[in-house]
Amino acid sequence: MKQLIKNIRNSSHLPFVCFFLAAAVLPLFVENDFYLDGFILIFIWASFSSAWNIIAGFTGMVSLGHNALFGIGAYSSTILLIRYGISPWFGLLIGGTLAAAVGVLIGVICFRLRSHYFALATLAFGEVIFILAMNFADITGGAEGIALPIEPDIWNMSFQGKLPYVYSGLILLMIVTIVSSKIKQSKLGYFLIAFKENEDAARMLGVNTGRARLTAMAISSFLAAVTGSFYAQYIVFIDPSSVCRIQLSIQAALFAIVGGIGTVFGPIVGAVIFVPITIALRAVLGSTMPGLHLIIYGFILIVVLLYMPQGILGAAKNKLFRISNN
Amino acid sequence: MDLSIFLQLLISGILLGGIYAMSSIGLTLIFGVMKIVNFAHGEFLMLAMYFSFFLHHLFKLDPYVSIIIVAPALFIIGIILYKTIIRYTIGKPILTQIFVTLGISIVIENLALLFFSGDFKAVTLDYLQVPFFLGPFDSIGIGEIIINPGRLIAFITGLLISGAFYLFLKFSYTGKIIRATAQDRTTALLMGINIDRVYMLTFAIGLLLVGIAGCLMIPIFTVHPFVGFEFVLIMFVVVVLGGLGSIVGAVAAGLFIGVVEVFSSFIIGPDSKQAIYFIIFIILLIIRPSGLFGIKGEEELERIEAID
Repeated sequence: MKQLIKNIRNSSHLPFVCFFLAAAVLPLFVENDFYLDGFILIFIWASFSSAWNIIAGFTGMVSLGHNALFGIGAYSSTILLIRYGISPWFGLLIGGTLAAAVGVLIGVICFRLRSHYFALATLAFGEVIFILAMNFADITGGAEGIALPIEPDIWNMSFQGKLPYVYSGLILLMIVTIVSSKIKQSKLGYFLIAFKENEDAARMLGVNTGRARLTAMAISSFLAAVTGSFYAQYIVFIDPSSVCRIQLSIQAALFAIVGGIGTVFGPIVGAVIFVPITIALRAVLGSTMPGLHLIIYGFILIVVLLYMPQGILGAAKNKLFRISNN
Repeated sequence: MDLSIFLQLLISGILLGGIYAMSSIGLTLIFGVMKIVNFAHGEFLMLAMYFSFFLHHLFKLDPYVSIIIVAPALFIIGIILYKTIIRYTIGKPILTQIFVTLGISIVIENLALLFFSGDFKAVTLDYLQVPFFLGPFDSIGIGEIIINPGRLIAFITGLLISGAFYLFLKFSYTGKIIRATAQDRTTALLMGINIDRVYMLTFAIGLLLVGIAGCLMIPIFTVHPFVGFEFVLIMFVVVVLGGLGSIVGAVAAGLFIGVVEVFSSFIIGPDSKQAIYFIIFIILLIIRPSGLFGIKGEEELERIEAID
């Protein structure tokens, strides 16, 4: 027991153990649905940003098409539920697998290119999915979208009240975080970092960078799609512009970059900062000044990238490191 | 397909493609010299269109005349942005370059939404309202071909400016310096070229070119805060198809994409036309990622170092 306490105290994960504990306990004392909604959205967007971070942060290959993977997840589970009565619990796995296959396909096509082309190719791919979702109205409902059934039923992943969503969202975020942290500490994680830092040197040392990146892409795509399925189940209405827009990928990047790109917990820090600000600014300024929060975010993105490229966590770590060295 | 319909579509496509080519040249120039993909390029086009619109709306200035105000304005915006932001992204990781330019594009897009509202705005010029006709050429069985005067003016001006700019790059002293820097930054530096100035000039010229394109496009297209994103996607397809960094490639690819767009919206319908050129784009990345006129292997970029 003493050892365990010591381990926890020494671990840099301590703040995040506290975060998850707080995230598990706090909602019990919150009665207002508006705030619970905030919790759920933090969990969803932190999960999505973490999934993006697995490919973009760990390997340096910037994907601008994760919105499409999110959309594939949302549409797969929804269509399977509405047309074939398949439970979203299976639907999200099927959607995740489909997205992972698509992610691997993108990887096979684009990984031999350097990052500029990868970013442009994933952007184009995301747009193709968006256009398909818009135009295949027979299957996707087109621009009108699809509404999901709302009678509470655990089999249909549809719950009474907000609390069950809070806890499923929290579990989702914990799974994504654990996967991300396991990757980072595993051989795969070291391969990815080796690739990011110096591809030629990594290859010389016998690292199969292609396969490592494909694995990361598959995992990242799977998690992005599962998050998409859960989002669809929570919002109970999806249309191409809410689940396939490029803005989703940019948002994931914003959270990860400001929180600390390439770190396991950076995306969570980003989501905890930005989701409440977004909700508050939208509530206050929504109708009078549309887009004001995006102007602020754009500035923050530029400033962080130029002056604090490692994000909040990176900067904090550097500071702690300096203190412990003194 | 009827021959006259075919010719009609071909001519419309080429006219449209000339506009795409014109608006993409700045993007490909900036990439070729600075190795930065400027994700904000569409927003600069949008700004130019708004400038031209307001000059016409407030001062009754003809959009084609407004080029002499809008293009220098964009040039100055380019210098300011280079000095304050872009300069510090050169040689940085690709993630930084992508999201700094994306950050600029988000800011400009939403500033436009805030100040200009989300309404669609257009300039209608009386003297462009009457289309003129080619033909009919009854002897070879071709009927009348309609030509939209606004598009014809944009096409001709666009090609002239592209050509002039190509000659500028090829023969002028400044052009040679820009090309030298694009070819080999280190050697250029050793020859005493002020790289920082060349980059500033390149970025500003890139914006100047898109400024001209904006003025040529405002009589034809409506402008709204999100128009930049629509066009920048087409521009990306054009510059990658032509080979990133290649001016001639951008012109050829622009014409090709214009023709593809017109034919596919006639055959499949206007809703899926975008999907077609994105699919072309993805196939291209599989077969020949360096583009039609790019140097093979160019897609595997070398890193360049930061200034200072």
